[in-house]
Amino acid sequence: MHRLNGFSLTRRLTLMFVGMGTAVLLGLGWVVSNSVEKHFEALDMEVLAGKMELIAQALQRVGAASDLTQLSHQLARSLIGHHGLEVLLLDADKAVIFATANASFDPAMVAAQATQRPGQPALWQLADQTYRGMAQQIPTAALDAKGHRALVIVAAAIHIGHHQAYMRGFLQTLWLFVAGAAVLMALLGWWSVRRALQPLRAMRDQAQVVTAQQLNHRVSLQRMPVELAELAQSLNDMLARLEEAFKRLSDFSSDIAHELRTPVSNLMTQTQVALSQPRAADDYRQVLESNAEELERMARMIADMLLLAKADNGLVVPNREPVDLAAEVQALFDYYEAVAEEKGLHLRQSGSASVQADRLMLRRAVGNLLSNAIRHATPGTVVQVWLTQSESGAALSVDNTGDTIAPELLERIFDRFFRVDPARQRSSEGTGLGLAITRSIVVAHGGQIAATSHDGLTTLTMRLPHPAP
Amino acid sequence: MKILIVEDEPKTGDYLKQGLTEAGFTVDLARDGVDGLHLALTENHDLAILDVMLPGIDGWGVLAGIRRAGKDMPVMFLTARDAVDDRVKGLELGADDYLLKPFAFSELLARVRTLLRRGGKPSSDPFLHAADLELDLMRRRVSRAGQRIDLTAKEFALLELLLRRQGEVLPRSLIASQVWDMNFDSDTNVIEVAMRRLRAKVDDAFEPKLIRTVRGMGYVLETPCTA
Repeated sequence: MHRLNGFSLTRRLTLMFVGMGTAVLLGLGWVVSNSVEKHFEALDMEVLAGKMELIAQALQRVGAASDLTQLSHQLARSLIGHHGLEVLLLDADKAVIFATANASFDPAMVAAQATQRPGQPALWQLADQTYRGMAQQIPTAALDAKGHRALVIVAAAIHIGHHQAYMRGFLQTLWLFVAGAAVLMALLGWWSVRRALQPLRAMRDQAQVVTAQQLNHRVSLQRMPVELAELAQSLNDMLARLEEAFKRLSDFSSDIAHELRTPVSNLMTQTQVALSQPRAADDYRQVLESNAEELERMARMIADMLLLAKADNGLVVPNREPVDLAAEVQALFDYYEAVAEEKGLHLRQSGSASVQADRLMLRRAVGNLLSNAIRHATPGTVVQVWLTQSESGAALSVDNTGDTIAPELLERIFDRFFRVDPARQRSSEGTGLGLAITRSIVVAHGGQIAATSHDGLTTLTMRLPHPAP
Repeated sequence: MKILIVEDEPKTGDYLKQGLTEAGFTVDLARDGVDGLHLALTENHDLAILDVMLPGIDGWGVLAGIRRAGKDMPVMFLTARDAVDDRVKGLELGADDYLLKPFAFSELLARVRTLLRRGGKPSSDPFLHAADLELDLMRRRVSRAGQRIDLTAKEFALLELLLRRQGEVLPRSLIASQVWDMNFDSDTNVIEVAMRRLRAKVDDAFEPKLIRTVRGMGYVLETPCTA
């Protein structure tokens, strides 16, 4: 695990969960507190507007300066019982006409508010108290020196300490709640993520069981969430491929050991028996001749296995040139003619095709198909080669009449050392690698090889695509 | 004919020397590249057989040294490494042939003779003979003891090869490659069957028998010495 980029999925998901939850709660808190605040303001303004109306009506009745004294009494009376409500009346020269007990607001500030933002809510600070106020110029019935109706600046304010206390409490509760919720969400998130990732851990545990000896182990798909089922399936497929390749490899190793053990033990026994007592020169010659034959076979098998090993590792690179398949088949017919005649077989070909291929390799591949067909053909029958050319490439099929190969064995006939009849193993001819080499050559050319067998007619078909330009 | 062998594997070197000596060649054997190059430059050889992996100077180095000294005798490489690069490198450096271990001695011998013959002029005689067997290259006819023998084209080519290289044991792989142009080891007994059929026509009804099987090595056409 890389510490740097391997940030735990659990931690990442938990943090995201907490972050998003907190943001949502904070947003909600802001909306709620804002609307409560607005509601309080609306309530305050309603009260203030009512008072302002009252004062305006009283001022309508003021006809002369002398009436103002009367007005003061009237106002003082009507405002009794309104706790926290302060009223201030200023004349045009900002001199105080009337003021309630605590209404010691700055006259300049009040006048500015009345002219610039009449009737609008404002927050006024007085000592350590906060007031919500409004100011307005209201005309009286009295006339000033120029004959205009005299204006009076009226300010009304209401003490909002209790609203503020409420908001403080509200915000405090909100913060506490958000903090608590964040912690809770962290815990819940961590728990649920862990729970959700449980199948992943189960998968890891199961994958850890897999070793070279236990490649048959598979991740169980039962109760696996859909998202992970695909991953698990891919993992299983990979394991299947690995197991297959591993099995082939170990089969190959044991096949080699097996195939080489018999000739080596023959050679050893024969040589040691020959050496155990003095013999005539002819006897020695016979032993040596027999050894030479056996050794030649082994050398050929080693060369074949080397070729297959190279093909398996993609080291067989065809040297492509245009090849006329019909001509190649004819050349091979010439080669196998004598053997075929001995068995009373007829070699025939029909069709034509050409490919871009490595001539030497292709000749070998087709030669192996032919010799296989000749070996397994019933005497007196026909071995037929079909050539077809299509858009995608060329196909070459070799038919022979003989024993039907069981379907379960068909796909294995291209395996190394595979023989349909185990009793024929190590017959004097063949290393059991011919068809495997053919397949390797075809695969190296990007082609495919297949076999069918029905009613005594066995057909091996190789398809070679046109090489990519 | 004098042949230089440079081979560090003791058994291989000894057997090659013995085999080639018994085949009628004079053989110098060196066990490492330094000795080998020294011998190649001081003596006159008709052919050199070099192992690629050698102590001192490797096979490529020996070949380069030989060519630098202006010697143009044919050179054959032996190697256990089956890499195409090796082959290409060898041919670029001027090697004439290349044999992969394990190889059959008969194959080596046949190739040595081919390389040594390369310089010589092909016989202009349109007739090849062995005892009372006669092969007419111009008219594509074969007769023995005056009797006409009918051969297929491939049988004719096979007999021609055997006659041209009388007395040499020809391995199956060489026959397949020269007569049929098949450069792979077939797992079928093609050559045996072809040879049997040829002998049926050429040898069965006549004495002495000319074509002989050398078990484990190949085939040879020779006139028996018992006159």
